[in-house]
Amino acid sequence: MAPGEKIKAKIKRNLPVTGPQAPTIKELMRWYCLNTNTHGCRRIVVSRGRLRRLLWIGFTLTAVALIFWQCALLVFSFYTVSVSIKVHFEKLDFPAVTICNINPYKYSAVRHLLADLEQETREALTSLYGFSEIKSRKRREAETWDPAAEGTQPKFLHKFPLLLFDQDEKGKARDFFTGQKRKVSGSIIHKASNVMHVHESKQVVGFQLCPNDSSDCATYTFSSGVNAIQEWYKLHYMNIMAQVPLEKKINMSYSAEELLVTCFFDGVSCDARNFTLFHHPMHGNCYSFNNRKNETTLSTSMGGSEYGLQVILYINEEEYNPFLVSSTGAKVIIHQQNEYPFIEDLGTEIESAMATSIGMHLTESFKLSKPYSQCTEDGSDVPIKNIYNAVYSLQICLHSCFQTKMVEKCGCAQYSQPLPPAANYCNYQQHPNWMYCYYQLHRDFVQEKLGCQSVCREACSFKEWTLTTSLAQWPSEVSEKWLLPVLTWDQGQQINKKLNKTDLAKLLIFYKDLNQRSIVESPANSIEMLLSNFGGQLGLWMSCSVVCVIEIIEVFFIDSLSIIARRQWQKAKEWWSRRQALPCPEAPSSPRGQDNPALDIDDDLPTFTSALHMPPAPGSQVPGTPPPRYNTLRLERAFSNQLTDTQVPDEH
Amino acid sequence: MHVKKYLLKCLHRLQKGPGYTYKELLVWYCDNTNTHGPKRIICEGPKKKAMWFFITLLFAALVCWQWGLFIRTYLSWEVSVSLSIGFKAMDFPAVTVCNASPFQYSKVTHLLKDLDELMEAVLRRILAPEPSLANATTALNFTIWNHTPLVLIDERNPHHPVVLDLFRENHNGSESSSPAPERICNAQGCKMAMRLCSLNGTECTFRNFTSATQAVTEWYLLQATNIFAQVPQQKLVEMGYPAERLILACLFGDEPCSYRNFTSIFDPHYGNCYIFNWGMTEKALPSANPGTEFGLKLILDIGQGDYVPFLASTAGVRLMLHEQRSYPFIRDEGIYAMSGTETSIGVLVDKLQRMGEPYSPCTVNGSDVPIQNFYSDYNTTYSIQACLRSCFQDHMIRNCSCGHYLYPLPHGEKYCNTRDFPDWARCYSKQQMNVAQRESCIGMCKESCNDTQYKMTISMADWPSEASEDWIFHVLSQERDRSTNLTLSRKGIVKLNIYFQEFNYRTIEESAANNIVWLLSNLGGQFGFWMGGSVLCLIEFGEIIIDFVWITIIKLVALAKGLRQRRTQARYAGPPPTVAELVEAHTNFGFQPDTTHHSPNTVAYPDEQSPPIPGTPPPNYDSLRLGVIESDSEGDTI
Repeated sequence: MAPGEKIKAKIKRNLPVTGPQAPTIKELMRWYCLNTNTHGCRRIVVSRGRLRRLLWIGFTLTAVALIFWQCALLVFSFYTVSVSIKVHFEKLDFPAVTICNINPYKYSAVRHLLADLEQETREALTSLYGFSEIKSRKRREAETWDPAAEGTQPKFLHKFPLLLFDQDEKGKARDFFTGQKRKVSGSIIHKASNVMHVHESKQVVGFQLCPNDSSDCATYTFSSGVNAIQEWYKLHYMNIMAQVPLEKKINMSYSAEELLVTCFFDGVSCDARNFTLFHHPMHGNCYSFNNRKNETTLSTSMGGSEYGLQVILYINEEEYNPFLVSSTGAKVIIHQQNEYPFIEDLGTEIESAMATSIGMHLTESFKLSKPYSQCTEDGSDVPIKNIYNAVYSLQICLHSCFQTKMVEKCGCAQYSQPLPPAANYCNYQQHPNWMYCYYQLHRDFVQEKLGCQSVCREACSFKEWTLTTSLAQWPSEVSEKWLLPVLTWDQGQQINKKLNKTDLAKLLIFYKDLNQRSIVESPANSIEMLLSNFGGQLGLWMSCSVVCVIEIIEVFFIDSLSIIARRQWQKAKEWWSRRQALPCPEAPSSPRGQDNPALDIDDDLPTFTSALHMPPAPGSQVPGTPPPRYNTLRLERAFSNQLTDTQVPDEH
Repeated sequence: MHVKKYLLKCLHRLQKGPGYTYKELLVWYCDNTNTHGPKRIICEGPKKKAMWFFITLLFAALVCWQWGLFIRTYLSWEVSVSLSIGFKAMDFPAVTVCNASPFQYSKVTHLLKDLDELMEAVLRRILAPEPSLANATTALNFTIWNHTPLVLIDERNPHHPVVLDLFRENHNGSESSSPAPERICNAQGCKMAMRLCSLNGTECTFRNFTSATQAVTEWYLLQATNIFAQVPQQKLVEMGYPAERLILACLFGDEPCSYRNFTSIFDPHYGNCYIFNWGMTEKALPSANPGTEFGLKLILDIGQGDYVPFLASTAGVRLMLHEQRSYPFIRDEGIYAMSGTETSIGVLVDKLQRMGEPYSPCTVNGSDVPIQNFYSDYNTTYSIQACLRSCFQDHMIRNCSCGHYLYPLPHGEKYCNTRDFPDWARCYSKQQMNVAQRESCIGMCKESCNDTQYKMTISMADWPSEASEDWIFHVLSQERDRSTNLTLSRKGIVKLNIYFQEFNYRTIEESAANNIVWLLSNLGGQFGFWMGGSVLCLIEFGEIIIDFVWITIIKLVALAKGLRQRRTQARYAGPPPTVAELVEAHTNFGFQPDTTHHSPNTVAYPDEQSPPIPGTPPPNYDSLRLGVIESDSEGDTI
């Protein structure tokens, strides 16, 4: 042998052939079953009798199926959350408290703007109910409306007339102003009529909104004239106020010094300077306590009413607008510092001549965002632009969505919400048919046709103050005598007459205790939990592990494929050699004898190995006895030797 | 004898182990262990061997890492909560009712006479633009006034605020009494303040108010506190509203009850308070049905005409629901009920039960809180409110050497009053403003583990109705005062309905999220997932380590022996070793390295003699095992 050959042989001896040594797939399977670490497989091979073997095959397959099923369940339930409720007792940040008078503007200040509207409202009342003189509890001196204006052409009633509908005659309506019957075409929308039908009289009041061409009118009817007139008044009111600049509106409303008579927080006096102005379109000037920008948030380190906020509010009932608001008092809302106060939707009302004590409990909630739930952390992934100058909330998103749609469809913005960039508030000088448009859009919004409800998502974390409200009489009979004069003195120059107790309201807002509950969602499963659950399942059913999985990959993919590849290769080689040896007469030799020495017993050709086995030839089983023993190094070596041996004749 | 033999055998087995060299041991371990990876290391070809070695190490590392994570999670003592909502028969909460005014004015007039006169004078001063009533002030008792006077601070010139005493002729002239053009300025220009001076009057602080209303109210409260603190509690109780005056009618479910079913307690702020169903000794009353019919119905008379005018500006009933064995902190947690109305209160019991240490920082009975509970005299359970108030009172006693009237006293201490402790108002004001101290109290007090809150749904209606007003007042007046005249009015009468809602409890209960079973099953899961191992595998591993140690010891002993022999040999360093010595040396294990080192001519010997050496280690396990496997597999195939 050449030295190169020698080295090669040495290497072959030292580094035996790797990869599958089993000659056939069946052998490989057998080897796998005997040597694998999983428990079922070995039983299949070892057990005797067909029934037992079948049973074991059944068990093993069932176990495999169970493993797959359970693991699938584990994977699918991976994104679940577990909720924990924690209670802390600690110093708590006091929330921002926004207080508004229910009446937005002093009636004496806005009267010149609303004079025409008021007059026409009175006229409508006269023609409908036969009275014109409205007796309020307190007569204002300069209130008598000018009878000279009676002759002027009514512009509001002309624009959107109030109508009296007779239910018997469909499509007929009587105009209040002209008294003439007129034809009503188009759809009649009964407000609240589909909820309940309690109105017994045949006549209903409503108004008609027509777009410019006035072919497709929408008529709104109400079961009661109170609702109809208020709604009608409000529409015109918004029209008028939309044209007034903001500074003027702020001046027409209440100042902080006027609204807040006294203020007391955490045992220390406070005054109007501790409040920040917030102008709400429908409620006028509102004042927020503890909501100052660039200042530290106040906090309470003691529960109870004496350590909370105590304010006495001046309601000033005389300045109330009789048609716009019909209740007296103030509205208060408790919110987070960076939240927008939706005072119209969520406010708590406060009665005058009463002490309203509001005890708070703080609950914080934290939800997990994607992929656990659909909530959003800061609203940046919601495709609606936030037109409010505040942090995201579902309410803000819905309002922004509606306002944006309003600007898109009607060309102008609705008065009670902030303006989107480059838009104006609606008024009928510039947008004559905005009301019709608004009503249509609003109906679509309520019926979820605009898609706002599906686009907007809830915020992931929020603070909630649970309120316990209770009322008591204030001032008490005996203290009234001294309290009212002192309060009048406190108001000083602003009010020169003596205060009445129905003009005042006392408000106490405090933490009942400093227990803060936080509801926190946390992932119920972590990846290591999932793996260990997998491990538990695999171990329980089959005593299997990742090693077994690697084994399976090794045996079923790598080894099987390489066996197949080897056989194909040998077949190809054989075919090649046969073609070479085609002229040779002894060409048709058994193909199988070439690769497995153990099996060429059928072959008649006396090879070296078969010759060795010659003596025990009668027992056909004998060649099967020395099967490949993979688990010992020594046998491997022997086997590889044999392989090289068998290859030798091929090279000839 | 038998035992000794057995022990020897054991020792021998222990000593022998599964091999004499590290390699043998490792091979034996890998071949026989039940963990899945190591077996493959030895029974595969070299490339795969390397791969399996790497995989086994990787998985072992993974298992260790994940175990670390699990153990850390376990030691974080997390809790999981379970929530249950429903209705069950429960103990009715204790109901505390107080009148908003602490005393009947007619009975305390003699105590407050001077103060009230002074107060009226003050109000006249503030309100009247002209000091025309100066002659009327002569009759007043100025000792009270001079101690803590109300002053006006004129801030129209912000650099030189002018301090004016309300009664000019009585101020002691220490401040520059400028010739003020206006005697009393209006609210915009001036601030009212309370002057609090130390004992000798050298050091004064001003407590400022933005409104006169607050200033006079606070001032009056301070003075009244001062007066009441000197009266023994027995007398105070007599001056308050008696139960039979306050409670007119009571009905619990179907059973009538009366003021005798109420326990009296004296609250410094609200006077006499009456508690229904306070289960201090007797068993609490249960309520097994939801709805108004099965709850507590009360009719109370607050007697608004007899209110202390300057002390109680709010009229109504203060009430509170609490647990049977807890003290009612009615000023913090109470709600109002208005006169002339019927107030219906639906109750939901919101209970939170916590695990305690180490899961959540809370205390079961308050014994581990470093603050003495002054409310323990009432025989009530620990609550954080009690702790905070005791903490405040404790600070008060330590800094001002007297206790505040609103909180209970420890033994041997006195309530603050101007006569004995002239400095106390200033000291108290300082204590009250001390936020750092309050926070330290919050830090020291722990929450109670069982926290019960009563969530109330409050609704109101006018009561009595106009139609029924007349006879109701007649009947109630007759019952209480035995008079045919009306002694009650709409301004004083309050009706209360307290009942369980349809769902009357919501219990949030904590349980350990990760218990030891959880930990073990997860540890097992991880080990099983990556390596198919179990605890037995760990024991196997431990065994191998013991064997390792044994082998090391044996080797060390051999080495030590060798060293000793070399030393003994070193004595005869001169002559070369004889043949007999060499032969002996070769049979000896420890001697071998020495000879190879020592002389170059002996190098040849070990090489030549090497064949016998491998023979010395006893049974080669590998070969033994092979035989077994062979026979096994043969048996299988047949």
